[in-house]
Amino acid sequence: MENIEKKLREEAKRLLEEKRVDALVGFEAGTLPLTATPCFITSPEEADRLVWNAFCSQNLAKYVHDLISQHHNSQKRVKPEDRKKKVVGVVARGCTTRSIVLHLQERQYGRDEVTIIGVPCEGYVDRKALTAALDGADIREGSLTGDRLDILTAEGKKEIPLQDVLADNCRTCRFNNPIIHDVMIGEPAPAMPGAVQEYAEVEEFEKLSTEERWRYFTKEMSKCIRCYACRQACPSCYCPTCFVEQTQPQWVGLGEDATDTQVFQLMRLFHMVGRCVDCGSCVSVCPMGVDLRKFLKKLDKDVFDFFGNRAGVSLDDPPPLSTFKEDDKEDFIYNP
Amino acid sequence: MEKRLIKKDALTGIIGKIAQEAVVFAPVKVEDNVLFKALEKGEEPFLTYANSKNAPKNHFFPRSEVMLRYTRTAKGVEFAGGQKEAEATVLFGVRPCDARSFVLLDLLFDQEKYKDPYYIDKRQKATIVALACVHPPYATCFCTSVDGHPLSADGADVLLTDLGEEFLAEFVTPKGEKLLKYFGDVKADAAAEAKKEAVAEQAAKEIKSHIPAREVKPIMDANFDSPFWNTIHQKCIACGTCTYLCPTCHCFDITDEMKRDDGRRLRNWDSCMYPMFTKETSGHNPRPTQRERWRQRAMHKFSYYPENFNAIACVGCGRCVMYCPVNLDIRKIVTDISKL
Repeated sequence: MENIEKKLREEAKRLLEEKRVDALVGFEAGTLPLTATPCFITSPEEADRLVWNAFCSQNLAKYVHDLISQHHNSQKRVKPEDRKKKVVGVVARGCTTRSIVLHLQERQYGRDEVTIIGVPCEGYVDRKALTAALDGADIREGSLTGDRLDILTAEGKKEIPLQDVLADNCRTCRFNNPIIHDVMIGEPAPAMPGAVQEYAEVEEFEKLSTEERWRYFTKEMSKCIRCYACRQACPSCYCPTCFVEQTQPQWVGLGEDATDTQVFQLMRLFHMVGRCVDCGSCVSVCPMGVDLRKFLKKLDKDVFDFFGNRAGVSLDDPPPLSTFKEDDKEDFIYNP
Repeated sequence: MEKRLIKKDALTGIIGKIAQEAVVFAPVKVEDNVLFKALEKGEEPFLTYANSKNAPKNHFFPRSEVMLRYTRTAKGVEFAGGQKEAEATVLFGVRPCDARSFVLLDLLFDQEKYKDPYYIDKRQKATIVALACVHPPYATCFCTSVDGHPLSADGADVLLTDLGEEFLAEFVTPKGEKLLKYFGDVKADAAAEAKKEAVAEQAAKEIKSHIPAREVKPIMDANFDSPFWNTIHQKCIACGTCTYLCPTCHCFDITDEMKRDDGRRLRNWDSCMYPMFTKETSGHNPRPTQRERWRQRAMHKFSYYPENFNAIACVGCGRCVMYCPVNLDIRKIVTDISKL
């Protein structure tokens, strides 16, 4: 990893020096032990802040979309001949590039507006799983050596195998290496052993009765405090105004009525059909530990079963719900 | 002030007895979360907690509450009151930082000029039993930087301090003294008080996180347009986690909901981190980007509140630091501002 970090910094420095990118989104060390936090770099000197480790959890494609659309908006009132192009660089693992592929397929920005620094990934630490493994004890110091986390808590020292606290989506990830990239740092990472059981949890869930599944859904949603962290962290959630924030008309109540929360979550889930790259960002940012992935993964499985498609894994394979084929076996498109 | 000593294992029993006569809110373990919530019948509090994820302010200032109800009739609109009157409650196991948040919220909701009946009703009927932080639970605790102390009784009616073998119970207010009957009759001696002094000194020493919170107001006021604000917000994803878990954040939005002829007026939590927070009917937004929103959050806590109420609107609980999904650390922001 250290070697990758070194190469990453060199590459970032070079891209900024050669002015091939205007801004670069990556990770830097966080203020808490065993954390990394998104950072934005615009000068070559800052490149040494970059880190790449098992604590880099966010899907940075979210920021790529934000930065480029902000730039597009700023250019709207500029004469076409005076418009400036802005290139955003991003440190990207497999899921991040899947989101970028999806953005490109959904015509959010051009391929020439993003420079992808591909990095291999072997999964990131799920902070909530780590806290649970420590029985809630506060982390005072910590380090990662190979596959072992050495942690000092208020109660004493503890060793935790990295495998035990990897995020669920990482454990079963099929695409831990970049799908597309402009520069690749290091060798591709080995496949994640859990990938073959990608849908095991969903299959278990499918066996439950409708009532049991609904009960699980309502239980999970009752934890939600409507802070919208899931939506805000999601690279596929990029509507300029979310339907829950529309006021004319207002579609969803803002109170504590359970159905309002369920409607928000259900609508978000359905907007994710064929568009969720299983990056786990929504789960990792949720302050209340709502199990969103169960439902997202079920939708992902359905899309794969019906259309043989996995979101963002190929530029040539468009999202199934935003395309149609003339030889579609369903003819509703002709006889609605 | 009445002071009693109680055996450590007596605490759960005391809570049980109080719960027979009043609604008791206490930390409870719900799956992986420790939540501050009303104890259901037979439910026992989780007393080895560090602190609850949600703030106890939620009891006085819930995420959503009905202000009034109305019905459209042939004769016009008929109005009815909102929430039913509050019941007597005991908030058990509030950490001193969170207890201090009530003092700060009182300044706003119960001031001479404006009285918030919804808040005040619940607040007056609640007794706060605080549990001192003999060992401050988190490395992110910074209460001593914002006028707090791990053993502070500010905002508490009763303060419990773990002295090792037993708890020292101090009945700080007349409201707290009403709970005396539950706490046995072993009066605390001078030795217990001396022990508490020592514990207090040690606890304050254990707080390792310090921020120059009291110094930043003039610097902030002079740097309203500083380029500093241009970059700090960049990684903020504009969720409301920090404000929704904060014990002192208190912004709300008022909406009407109608079903056929029946309507209710609700006040719901709102967050300065949301674009909609300041959006006006015309479509204009005076805080158009996250830059202005973050500046507002920082200024409100460390400049405007001190200006209005002579108190920093932060109790140093560290929730926003620990649970911010992108590690946007308010401690770092305050420290960086002090260097401007």
